[in-house]
Amino acid sequence: MTRISLVIVLIALAGEVGGQLFLKRAMGASNAGGFRSRQFVLPICAGILLMTMKFFLNLGLLQHYDLSFIYPFQGLSVIMVILSAAFTLREKLTFQLVTGSLLISAGVVLISLT
Amino acid sequence: MATKNKPTGFGNPWLQLAISVACVTIYELLLKRGAAETAHLSPRWSWTGLPGLASIYVWVAIVFVILSLITWLYVLRYIPLSVAFPISQAVHVLVPLGSWLVLGENIVTLRWVGIALVSLGLALVAKPVAQLEERL
Repeated sequence: MTRISLVIVLIALAGEVGGQLFLKRAMGASNAGGFRSRQFVLPICAGILLMTMKFFLNLGLLQHYDLSFIYPFQGLSVIMVILSAAFTLREKLTFQLVTGSLLISAGVVLISLT
Repeated sequence: MATKNKPTGFGNPWLQLAISVACVTIYELLLKRGAAETAHLSPRWSWTGLPGLASIYVWVAIVFVILSLITWLYVLRYIPLSVAFPISQAVHVLVPLGSWLVLGENIVTLRWVGIALVSLGLALVAKPVAQLEERL
């Protein structure tokens, strides 16, 4: 893996985490204010924009590497997403959830190393 | 937990989560096939992924990713992100298995161990949710 491809993987990761947080915030807002409120429209647009950016970066990476090699790098986003959800969305984390997520991330990294 | 007052039947958010995972798995396999098919088209722009749009597989993949996005947004209305997102990582088990079965890619022993670890983590995350669902 070259340096530029590593940077692209990291940008795609950040896009995934940020995108998920925006999407959750939007859907949370839709429960209270409907689909026309500013609290829904702005985060949904930001979330879709970030997810689209991630989509094209992944497509570019897939033209150079095997799917089973590239895809698991995104597994690192599990820990990043649940921690970000706890900090920014005030979601409750349990010991079992964190342990399970760590196992998932470890498994994904192991898959990536091969 | 935000799983209270959730719809049942086809609208059940856990069923929608399973559909979302299946759509992502199919999307990834189609995307790889499309990317491989178009890798030679424009080496200069290949890192942007745009030449991939010349493949029908990529367009079908886009349909599946839109479906997965719709089901995922629905899931996020009812299930906390910190619960739904780890469970959605079942794709990390299904995609390598799909790559092996459909695309003929190789899976070495260490990768099987990784798949087992991910499965164990999924079970750990899903167990308290399943117990909660039984009580409701």
